Amino acid sequence: MSPAIQPGDWLLVDPTVTRWPRRGSVVVFREPDSELLAIKRVAAGPGDRVDLDAGHLILGDDEAWLLSDAPLAELVEQGAGTPIDSRRYGPVPVDLLVGRAWFRYWPAGRLGLIRRR
Amino acid sequence: MFRLSRILAPSTTVHAHCDLPCGVYDPEQARIEAESCYKIIEKMGANSDPTFTTRAIHIKEERADLAKHALDVLWHDYFKPEHLEKVPNLHELFWNATKQVSKVKASTNLEDARQLLAMIDEIDAAWKATGGEEKTRVNGRPS
Repeated sequence: MSPAIQPGDWLLVDPTVTRWPRRGSVVVFREPDSELLAIKRVAAGPGDRVDLDAGHLILGDDEAWLLSDAPLAELVEQGAGTPIDSRRYGPVPVDLLVGRAWFRYWPAGRLGLIRRR
Repeated sequence: MFRLSRILAPSTTVHAHCDLPCGVYDPEQARIEAESCYKIIEKMGANSDPTFTTRAIHIKEERADLAKHALDVLWHDYFKPEHLEKVPNLHELFWNATKQVSKVKASTNLEDARQLLAMIDEIDAAWKATGGEEKTRVNGRPS
């Protein structure tokens, strides 16, 4: 999630969200397969169309497509495999949503709102 | 000051892992499992004790599955589209090798296992030709 989120950042997460925040928001959620608490960006929300290599899918009304910020080209160059985001585990249902990360309060030099992209 | 930081520090950690490759890829992993299958077949040929045979078959299945998995990881995660320029028959190499693993699972013929080792050697050559050793091993492949 670099550069938006760096290791060691301290974040405020709004846990009151009950529906997927708007596209571009950074969200905290439980990963479908591993139940790990993860943080990604909402790339597409309920009802949106996601284009895949071999076609497309239309998200259900409680699903979101969550992606890491790292550009695919950069990951490929580093020798990374498939990114661990919706490209690996598919759409994420809203019952796995934990909250919206909206503010970084540490380190002080990067204090501020986490902006939608 | 330290107390303040302990109060303010978050209580929960989230993971941003964009990917978790260790980035280490070496056909040696597959080869060792394939060599295990070879040795098992060899020993089966010299020992007709039914208990030994049962155990040997069971272990050969396990090692063969591991060989297949190691080959899959190499194919899916190490090799990239641009490598096809250096190794145009890349996909065929892997298709044939993984099919050969299936053959070795069912086989008591040493020649089948020998064939598998030869196919893995070809994949090893492809890995070396695409810079696998320099790029993915920590200090190169141990000699």
